[in-house]
Amino acid sequence: MLYLLLKADRKTMKREHQETANHPLTGGGGGGGGEGCSSRSKTWKEDQGDGGMDELLEGLGYKVKSSDMADVAQKLEQLEMAIGTFQEGQISHLFCETVHYNPSDIYGWVDSMLSELNPSQTFDPNGSFYPIRNSILGQQPSMNSSARNSLIYDDNSEYDLSVIPGFALKMPSEWTFDLQREGTSKRMKHDAPQISTSPVNSAAKLRSLPEATRPLLMVDSEEAGVRLVHILMACAEAVQNEDLKLADALVMQIRLLAVSQAGAMRKVAIYFAEAIARRIHKIYPQQSSIDSFYSDTLQMHFYETCPYLQFAHFTANHAILEAFSDAPRVHVIDFSMSLGMQWPALMQALALRPGGPPAFRLTGIGPPQPDNTDALEQVGWKLAQLAGTIGVEFHYRGFVCDSLADLEPSMLDIRPSAMETLAVNSICELHRLLARQGAIDKVLSNLKVMKPKIVTIVEQEAKHNGPVFLDRFNEALHYYSTLFDSLDGCWLTQSNSQDLAMSEVYLGRQICNVVACEGPERVERHETLAQWRERMESSGFDPVHLGSNAFKQASMLLDIFSGGDGYRVEENNGCLMLGWHSRPLIATSAWRIASR
Amino acid sequence: MAGSNEINLSECKRIVPLNTWILISNFKLSYNLLRRPDGTFNRDLAEFLERKVPANTIPVDGVFSFDIVEKSTNLLNRVYRSAPENEAQWGIIELEKPLSTEVVVPVIVFFHGGSFTHSSANSAIYDTFCRRLVKLCKVVVVSVNYRRSPEHRYPCAYDDSWSALKWVSSRPWLQSGKESNVHIYLAGDSSGGNIAHHVAVRAAKSGLKVLGNILLHPMFGGQKRTESEKRLDGKYFVTLQDRDWYWRAYLPEEENRDHPACNIFGPRGESLEGLDFPKSLVVVAGFDLIQDWQLAYVEGLGRAGHDVKLLYLKQATIGFYFLPNNDHFYTLMEEIKKFVNSNCL
Repeated sequence: MLYLLLKADRKTMKREHQETANHPLTGGGGGGGGEGCSSRSKTWKEDQGDGGMDELLEGLGYKVKSSDMADVAQKLEQLEMAIGTFQEGQISHLFCETVHYNPSDIYGWVDSMLSELNPSQTFDPNGSFYPIRNSILGQQPSMNSSARNSLIYDDNSEYDLSVIPGFALKMPSEWTFDLQREGTSKRMKHDAPQISTSPVNSAAKLRSLPEATRPLLMVDSEEAGVRLVHILMACAEAVQNEDLKLADALVMQIRLLAVSQAGAMRKVAIYFAEAIARRIHKIYPQQSSIDSFYSDTLQMHFYETCPYLQFAHFTANHAILEAFSDAPRVHVIDFSMSLGMQWPALMQALALRPGGPPAFRLTGIGPPQPDNTDALEQVGWKLAQLAGTIGVEFHYRGFVCDSLADLEPSMLDIRPSAMETLAVNSICELHRLLARQGAIDKVLSNLKVMKPKIVTIVEQEAKHNGPVFLDRFNEALHYYSTLFDSLDGCWLTQSNSQDLAMSEVYLGRQICNVVACEGPERVERHETLAQWRERMESSGFDPVHLGSNAFKQASMLLDIFSGGDGYRVEENNGCLMLGWHSRPLIATSAWRIASR
Repeated sequence: MAGSNEINLSECKRIVPLNTWILISNFKLSYNLLRRPDGTFNRDLAEFLERKVPANTIPVDGVFSFDIVEKSTNLLNRVYRSAPENEAQWGIIELEKPLSTEVVVPVIVFFHGGSFTHSSANSAIYDTFCRRLVKLCKVVVVSVNYRRSPEHRYPCAYDDSWSALKWVSSRPWLQSGKESNVHIYLAGDSSGGNIAHHVAVRAAKSGLKVLGNILLHPMFGGQKRTESEKRLDGKYFVTLQDRDWYWRAYLPEEENRDHPACNIFGPRGESLEGLDFPKSLVVVAGFDLIQDWQLAYVEGLGRAGHDVKLLYLKQATIGFYFLPNNDHFYTLMEEIKKFVNSNCL
């Protein structure tokens, strides 16, 4: 009651400020007493946001519990005192090998730096604090800053996960490889009813859902294309209102208008118009087994053209490598095997590990293939060949299944964690599970049975799974417009125009699925990092933070991509996102089973 | 030495609310990590540490935003507007109509601070500030994402910002009033204030009409050490040493702080007499160590015959406007509101 009263007081005071020109304290030209100012700040009780966070700081991207404020201030002062004895120019050197994590958590961040300066201090187990790891192998930080002679900062990372351009195709070496394929004799039928909403998470919600945000990024040459956007939105609204005649007429208008546009806007409009037309006339794209081969090919072109998937693989590998540390036997289960493009780089990094590579086991999961061709097996062979050339003991197994929810942990030959360190990897796959009731919960509980050291998840950063069609449409329109914009830059420099064309088809198929399909057929149910975070945390997982070293190397990766100096890596509460200019488009997060 | 340091920290904490103190101390600390003595800057770590927010076409507290990339410069501008009354219009960006055909809607072109080196238009602190500007002062804001030093030195920030100003002035959808003009004010804090001045000079010389300049503890300096610099060095978050570093990072190499970009009315400053320079609102924080340069700027403008109002906030530190938890914030917003709406009656 008292808290509410204080809150009301603050609002009243605010209103008074706005209304009166001459405030009693400051008059027209400032000059209020210091005492007056500070006493006012004492009576202004800050609003408590979600989870007891200081609301004002939260609005600026920092998470500090109101109850921790005094402690945080004290730690800041302590740190200031501790480094105060150093020359200002030396401060950057003091922490030059430090890996930073989760800067939103000021308490944890300052604490970790205090510990860096004074290793005898114990860590605070309460906050989301992570011990400093100066190298992936957990070497002790170098405290001897005076040993550093050069003033020039030299940043070498232990692990250089540069992208390997292709497989080394040579004769298999003396290393044996284990290749098995699990049949699809048991196809599980799902009797789930047609649903068009995301299944409700049965676990108790710990936090309220994130606020509604819809970022918009446009290029100024598309200002004229805004009219096209308006008609597209009106068309979607007509569909939402089931006025299919109007929708049909608007689709025609869109197609006509699109012709006069240039670049990304034109292509996006055409894909969306086609998708709406399919929805109206119920001509859904057939989900056949041919699809998966075609999908893999399209995805490969997309992989070559723009950095999103390479970023995904790179950052996930970084987290996996850190988790593997110096374990002698490791196992990766890849839910998104496809053409296995993520693994050569990881294997290369493992091969270069100081102390020698571990025995590396890879289990690749993929969808059924047409014509009895076994794409998973072929990928396994190629990876085995590579392993041979770089001297990594390699075992491979492929599993075909319609849905990840069909997998049982017992099928996957999980070995005890004392003997083998397990990582589970999923690149843009988990969202498909949201199309069936209970599927995601099943997979997440399976994960807990499997006891992985780390789970790496990459997902499109978009809200394409809301319950209302119109909202999904608008979100998708903004998202794919930005994606196509980022591809647009490539036309000027890309010599392989086929890659670009195929990339656009790849994205076009996603658009079609988001807009035209419903129920179990609608598999492109992308959700945001905030939504996945909520889901993972309430399912019993804790975040494993990606740090400044991963961030830096991911940024360096982007330099390879010409025609796109608009790509940006962003840190978000321990996760990394890649976007085009100011709009994040894909997000990588890492998880471990909660220690509760 | 350690003892006096302690006194300073506690005193500083008495002057500002606790969360402001934490916020600015945190910046100070992280910025110290980023600046290297050889003049280079740890940009990757800076980008990692910076808190950013996306634009949002869905209104929050009555304000929405969207980003536009200028094709010619590949630079981003973030536009902030009041949400339309009709909820059905939310999320729809209207680029085919002016802001208003009846009333004048001031457009503030905003240059964020960061001593030419830090922050971006999509930094959380500046996104929030611009939103508050829209809400409290009833304006449209365009925040410019100019290129930063040391990677891009003088005159990049001015060139980019001038380009953005020209772009803003030519947008039909930023026009308002019965005569369909874009009613432009320039504003900026710290280095952004410095930018606003120089862009206003270019605008005046080019005949592009700027209605007013709002300089929020603008970043100016000179070779000489002023009294305020000596008295306040290291006392309220900012040190002379870091000021020097940022000037060395921004100004052309081999230059000193009497360069006209830095020392406006100094020995190498250019005369502003006779120039159609806009009226200025200069806000000075009483605990800002470079206030003597800012006050000299105000005097210089006056001597050159230009309209300038000084808002001196005696008990304010730098960054007082990042959080609406002190009187100075509200005073500032009131003054800005009066400043941009006085023409539009």
